[in-house]
Amino acid sequence: MWTWFFASCASAQSIDFERDVLPILTESCLDCHGPETAESGYRVDVRRIALRGGDLYPQLVVSGNAQGSPLYQIISGADPDLSMPPDGERLSRKQLRIIEGWINAGAVWPDTADRDDGTAQPLWSLQPLQRPAIPRLSESILDSNATVLSNPVDRFIYAQLAAAGLSLSPPADRRTLIRRLSLVLTGLPPTGDEVDAFVADCDSQAYERLVDRLLASPRFGERWAQHWLDVARFAESDGFETNHERPNAWPYRDYVIAAFNDDQPIHQFIRDQIAGDQWGVDAATGFLVGGAHDIVKGEDADLNITQRMDELADMVNTTATAFLGLTVGCARCHNHKFDPISQTDFYALQAALAGVHHGERDMQVFPNEQRQEQIAALERDLSARQIELAAFRPPVTPRANVEQFSPRLVRWVRFSIEEASRYEPCLDELEVFRAESDGHNVALAEHGTGVTSSGDYQGAAIHQLAHINDGLYGNEHSWIASTTRDAWVQLEFPQPETIDRIVWSRDRGWQEHVFDDRLAISYRIEGSLDGEHWELLASSRGRRDQTFRQRRALTTEEETEASTIVAMWDLMDIVADLEQGMRDWHHRPHVYAGRFEQPPIVYRLHRGDHRQPREEVPPEGLSALRELTASWGLKSDATDAQRRVALADWLANPHNPLPPRVMANRLWQGVFGRGLVATPSDFGAMGAPPTHPELLDWLASELMARGGSMKQLIRLLVTSAAFQQSSLPREEAAKQDAQCRWLWRFPPRRLEGEAIRDRLLFVSDALDWTTGGPGFSLFEPNSNYARNWVAKQQMTSSDFRRMIYAQKLRMEPDAVFSVFDIPDGGQICPCRARSTTPLQALNLFNSEFVLDQAERLAAQIEAVGLTSEQNVTDAFRRILLRDADDREMEWAQALASEHGLVSVCRALLNTNEFLWIE
Amino acid sequence: MRTPLTPSGNWLLDRRRFLSHTMTGLGSIALVDLLHRDRLLCADDDPPRFDGQRPFAPREPHFPARARRVVMVYCTGALSQVDTFDFKPELFRLHDQPLPGAEGLKTFQGAQGNLARPLRDFVPRGESGKMTSDLLPHLGALADHVCFLHGMTSRTNTHGPGENFMSTCFTVDGFPSLGAWVNYALGTENEELPAFVAIPDPRGNPQSAGNNWGAAFLPAMFQGTPMTAARPVSYLHRPARVSATADQATSDFLRRLNERHLAQFPGDSDLAARIASYELAARMQRSIPHLMDLSKEPETVLRAYGADQTNNSVKAAYARNCILARRLCEAGVRFVQVFNGAYAMGEGVGNWDGHKQIAEQYPGHAEIFDQPTAALFQDLQQRGLLDDTLFVLCTEFGRMPTFQAGASGRDHNPDGFTCLLAGAGVRAPLSYGATDEFGWRAVERVTTVYDFHATILHVLGLDHERLTFYHNGAQRRLTDVHGHVLRDLLAKV
Repeated sequence: MWTWFFASCASAQSIDFERDVLPILTESCLDCHGPETAESGYRVDVRRIALRGGDLYPQLVVSGNAQGSPLYQIISGADPDLSMPPDGERLSRKQLRIIEGWINAGAVWPDTADRDDGTAQPLWSLQPLQRPAIPRLSESILDSNATVLSNPVDRFIYAQLAAAGLSLSPPADRRTLIRRLSLVLTGLPPTGDEVDAFVADCDSQAYERLVDRLLASPRFGERWAQHWLDVARFAESDGFETNHERPNAWPYRDYVIAAFNDDQPIHQFIRDQIAGDQWGVDAATGFLVGGAHDIVKGEDADLNITQRMDELADMVNTTATAFLGLTVGCARCHNHKFDPISQTDFYALQAALAGVHHGERDMQVFPNEQRQEQIAALERDLSARQIELAAFRPPVTPRANVEQFSPRLVRWVRFSIEEASRYEPCLDELEVFRAESDGHNVALAEHGTGVTSSGDYQGAAIHQLAHINDGLYGNEHSWIASTTRDAWVQLEFPQPETIDRIVWSRDRGWQEHVFDDRLAISYRIEGSLDGEHWELLASSRGRRDQTFRQRRALTTEEETEASTIVAMWDLMDIVADLEQGMRDWHHRPHVYAGRFEQPPIVYRLHRGDHRQPREEVPPEGLSALRELTASWGLKSDATDAQRRVALADWLANPHNPLPPRVMANRLWQGVFGRGLVATPSDFGAMGAPPTHPELLDWLASELMARGGSMKQLIRLLVTSAAFQQSSLPREEAAKQDAQCRWLWRFPPRRLEGEAIRDRLLFVSDALDWTTGGPGFSLFEPNSNYARNWVAKQQMTSSDFRRMIYAQKLRMEPDAVFSVFDIPDGGQICPCRARSTTPLQALNLFNSEFVLDQAERLAAQIEAVGLTSEQNVTDAFRRILLRDADDREMEWAQALASEHGLVSVCRALLNTNEFLWIE
Repeated sequence: MRTPLTPSGNWLLDRRRFLSHTMTGLGSIALVDLLHRDRLLCADDDPPRFDGQRPFAPREPHFPARARRVVMVYCTGALSQVDTFDFKPELFRLHDQPLPGAEGLKTFQGAQGNLARPLRDFVPRGESGKMTSDLLPHLGALADHVCFLHGMTSRTNTHGPGENFMSTCFTVDGFPSLGAWVNYALGTENEELPAFVAIPDPRGNPQSAGNNWGAAFLPAMFQGTPMTAARPVSYLHRPARVSATADQATSDFLRRLNERHLAQFPGDSDLAARIASYELAARMQRSIPHLMDLSKEPETVLRAYGADQTNNSVKAAYARNCILARRLCEAGVRFVQVFNGAYAMGEGVGNWDGHKQIAEQYPGHAEIFDQPTAALFQDLQQRGLLDDTLFVLCTEFGRMPTFQAGASGRDHNPDGFTCLLAGAGVRAPLSYGATDEFGWRAVERVTTVYDFHATILHVLGLDHERLTFYHNGAQRRLTDVHGHVLRDLLAKV
């Protein structure tokens, strides 16, 4: 501090900014870096920009260190990639010395010489979250709207409507209301009976009860998960030309559905998706790797690095837009042009995710006491049953084979294999038990037992002689002999042992597939006390042959010992069940949720070019939020887990104002069709400002106050008068606010493509309600290296699950419904377009899919209806949830009599009324 | 004579004062909510401002256009420049010699073998004497009318990203295609047909399939509609088991229901637009089959394209696709993309990806590709359509002048390849840019895909820096933050 002060004082005397420095900048730089052009976003006439740098540099001038300042490097020719001025005369040595001295002296730039035009307004979304007061309304308003304005949301809405000279619309009729609520919360319509019951329910709490019922329905999560999967650009294939499916990506989809259904608090929801593997929520990190992945790697290393950088950019951008509503991805090549995000910020977040790779991993099983006890009990049971079974001399199995004999004192045990089922024989474990209750396995190497053999199979790390007594089961830890016949393996105990039982196996792992080749069929087991005289302990002689394994019927010769054989079979079944139980306990499903590795050191890449690394960047949160959230305190040697946990905690930090705002806005969008911020993943300067800033902040703070409960916030929104009002237009209001920004009515909107399909299947009663698990396919199977997906021609009933359970293939549109703006999974889609096109009309009116549903529905109606009028009434009630009026009845009956009820149904399924949330 | 509009259609048009517009007949076919992004679209005067009621209505370009439409022929699999249009005598001379400067070079599939001479001899063409390969004699014969861009480069040497890049200027998935941008910018001259048609190869889709004609984050209505001469638009016709009269009666009933419903929501343009969309769909049902009906094409035309060659069904089918492309141009479709090559059959079998057996594979591909493509060009020319149609021939990247080590084919080469531009406002004959003496790396007037696209937009009267659409934090452009218009290859106006 003292030296700096001293130096600055000393040099300041010799160099004056306005006299010495400014003229150089003006003469040599201003043409390209001034108010007119501002190349690379850099200006030398505004202090803030001049010192910080434009798009390319996070810090162009390092005060007190000219040599370390990119500005000086560029003008002095020290930077090999960039040299300024680009043409014309270079700066003279004297000029360079002036700049150098000025920077070394602290780069003093007096206020009087600053032309900052003050355009850099602080970004609203980065400000600390406040809880605005609920607007006070005048007594007269409150009196006339007492019931309406009990919900704080309505006070905010009302205040802004009133300011614009507008008002809320009257409440929607109950029939409309239950349809709207049901579609918004569950994506499915109510049944006709449910509508009738609600219309007839006079209880003042009827609506609230309906809300609670729908929020508790498993259908709620299926609906709301789709909104989030759009944000997460989730798809179940790699994209690019191969576009291979990811058969184990669905657990992430199920995680999101469950998170909504279980009302996962938002901070947990956020943390899980970044680092859930650290606390046993494996599937959640599917978020990180939900995007496209180019699996085609060439021999050209440069291009492979580019692919990796693209992957990481996708992860950083998706994470930042999803949770922060900030387009950090824009800062990959240069400082963000509009938001306070530097290039260093981008690489700091990239460093947080630099250990994440595309791919599958085993779901972890987190040990807990109860689980351990259950496994131990199962193991004891299995072991007892195996011993019991041994008495029957069952056929040999790749799994545990028990040999029992009277107690012998031995120091050596030799297992000789005369013949195996195929190839050279294999043993994964050879256990020898002391003759005592709960006898100890004395064969284990850890007790000093040595092992020799006739010869070992070479060249495979998983097959080693030492594996024979290492205590580990499974083909991965086994021994294979060097010869197909007459192989042996021999144990030598440190001292003589009295033994009475040997257990051996070929593959006793708990994976699904068991290796049954290389199984010893013909063998002898001998013991010796002195190493010279050997005694037979057990052998394959007398064991039943392999046919006993499959069949469960006796031959005529066997009838004399029928009871024995049947008892053996029963025991074999019991053992098999217990083994399956063990397998279930050990089952570790694969999940496409990323592989994690120790990250390399991350550098800021000049212009985003990996061939131009600059300074090292440790993992860290955005600098613009540093004051609110504190530094992570990590260095470049931090582990992958440390980084991701730090990122997760930082995102979920209650002082981080962005996630609550962003999430509250997404929930609002899901309810009203459009967010208070119309650009839900961009809360930056280029995004739309909030229409109701106080309401947004109030909702964000309310979300936090309610423990991050998304269901409670949604409940608050749908119980507002704003939600329950009519959607019918009012001319005078429409004139003033055609877009309905101030919510003078409930804004009607078209259903999404998935919801249209679901609704069609719902009304035709074809919907398969199966939840979770692998999805169904909309396409014919294809095994081409570059997949050539063709839409499935023939659907079966299991293809009629809700569309969120369709295996989502990237860039592959569904034949009928994708034209309704279903996102392609290429980039994030935080807000869907709602277009209307003739192709939509063709698909709905002419596709077999829709006609099938119309036919199915007509058949159901006709099966119970007695008259044409009843049939038409039924069709209207099932499809549009209302009765036909007289004219409609007349038209419909005429059509039905001429062309059948199916024509009526086909038309009704195409109506605007059917496709709209009103 | 246009079919009269329904009452609701008229009401809508009247309300919106569309009747004053010259193209009243087809108003209001569609509407996009556009996320209520009008503020964003209008924030700047530059992005196209389309009426949600008539998103396909023709729009004015930024400045007077040289071309009103584009037909783009896309060779998938990476067409070898050294075997087709980029003449390198050194390759003949140094056949089977090592490529200087390529010691230890690893391209996509690995190490290099020696230089390999082109598959066929090159011969001078037309008055210009431009040397092109006998592999593609029909296209070669057009040399006097074409601008060859020999200095093309790509950013990737992998097909999927490469196709993406050539179609969208981004190597990753999920960015709008050139055709979608053009559709968004200019609408179309015939609203009864899709504004942007993609015609996949008869053998199947290109590798990046729909990403080549996708709308990505542009409104879905601007995406390309895939169809081929053999397979028209999906669901164009009523299901087989519905009679024509039942279909019409159902459609009438639907319209009445929707109008009755609309009466409750007077002024709701979304609902009205949907009604109109069914009307346009009905028109498309009539106009598209007419367009696809090649039976009226004279025998001479079929023969000129090679569509009569029953002994080569792929060639005949591709030829029919080319005829369809011409008919689409005639009918006023704004952007037609014709693909030659598909990946369904594997590496190099059904496309230009000649890694291992190029001498066996290329002649067959050339036979399918050459005559029909050249016929399309000449047909457009003879009908005067080339005056205001930009003809584009492209591929995702080029191939090495060497054979791969241990193989008889060429590996990927993103550092130099050839594309063609011709027609409206493009100078011809012209050879623009050049690769080195081996046809390996572009060394003269090195041209990026961004430049290529910027130039195509320019010919259409569009400034690639002003054609933008807001998506998640950025006013996105087709050319990202790159690209320069290649003014030197444009004729003086």
